[in-house]
Amino acid sequence: MAGAASLRQIAFYGKGGIGKSTTSQNTLAAMSHYFDKNIMIVGCDPKADSTRLILHEKAQDTILSLAAELGTIEDVEMEQARLWGKGLFDKETPGGWINCTESGGPEPGVGCAGRGVITAINFLEEEGAYDEEGLDFVSYDVLGDVVCGGFAMPIREGKAQEIYIVMSGEMMAMYAANNISKGILKYANTGGVRLAGLVCNARMTDKEYDLALELAQRLGTQLIHFVPRNNIVQHAELRRMTVVEYSPFSDQAREYKELARKIVYNDMKIIPTPITMDELEELLLAFGLEDEVDESQVGKAAEA
Amino acid sequence: MFILGFHFPASMGNQVPDELVAEKIADVDISDVKEIKLLMGTKERDKEWLSYTNKDTFLFRAMVHYFKEENPDKAQKYMIYMNRYQMSAISKRVDAADDETMKLCHHLDNMEQFRIEVA
Repeated sequence: MAGAASLRQIAFYGKGGIGKSTTSQNTLAAMSHYFDKNIMIVGCDPKADSTRLILHEKAQDTILSLAAELGTIEDVEMEQARLWGKGLFDKETPGGWINCTESGGPEPGVGCAGRGVITAINFLEEEGAYDEEGLDFVSYDVLGDVVCGGFAMPIREGKAQEIYIVMSGEMMAMYAANNISKGILKYANTGGVRLAGLVCNARMTDKEYDLALELAQRLGTQLIHFVPRNNIVQHAELRRMTVVEYSPFSDQAREYKELARKIVYNDMKIIPTPITMDELEELLLAFGLEDEVDESQVGKAAEA
Repeated sequence: MFILGFHFPASMGNQVPDELVAEKIADVDISDVKEIKLLMGTKERDKEWLSYTNKDTFLFRAMVHYFKEENPDKAQKYMIYMNRYQMSAISKRVDAADDETMKLCHHLDNMEQFRIEVA
């Protein structure tokens, strides 16, 4: 595998819309700014929104779009596909740096988006992106669930070694977290991938912390951090910035700094123990988020 | 594994005994603190000050430690959500008989922001 022995390859997985890209960029920004870590982001989402806050751009050119424009992937140059972060994250700025790539994907409804991930990672390896001097972390930001094998590629091929699942206390986010754990379990022995923790990107629902903690313990892992909801995240996003840059002394920047510190020093990387769908529903019942279901009422509309 | 910000090695598993967490804060000096004051809430009209004075509890020691850590000016300090949820969870196990502590834990478990001062 390319890269220095000390290189850590991490990935953020989670249900679509849970806030993976926002959480990952804010956390990576904190790792770079407060802990001097040098990071390469590999966006693995056709939306190409994994790097916009680091680059202060709407969306960078993706590796697949560059290949389509230029003819073939062989025609793409590294400096076109990989951009250096702006502001705090530039290579010339004191502290850590971040460079950014996006795999891209086909037009909606056409082709296999997972292929873009495979093509992008192969391109970056061949072009020596993993061998950049001083690189400490590679971070993959991966779309949605692992139902599609293409999106499991970073874990299937042993690229990402430690997985952080971004979730919340909502049922489908927990369902996805459990599903991703199943994917990790499947490839744990062949590729060496491990679950490194759950990150609760809170929706501020009832008993959310307790529920997230319980799921983490059932999966055999840790709830590494509970990120509260805060409007400052959206304010920063409107300026295409991370909170760390937008308001470095804000309460939310402190939350991301703490999550960053935990990831930097995290040594808990386990093979997960996914639970069954019945167990997941029991968990939601136990925390009062679902009412006990009377089987005779299933499929019946609410009474007026 | 991280509890109250302390790192516990992965070899200890994902459920660290409360005694080991208490050991981490055993040496914190609480002699100069009579009262912990917590500002709960963010919206100006809804903000509420809470007072906590029971020095014989895990929660008091944990909060003084949190306040003093990297705070040489002893300035009011934002409380990381996860730390305070963990303080509450442990307190509900080790100081369940103390009404003042349980009352404060009830507040700590909610979704509001907290800031801490000591007097």
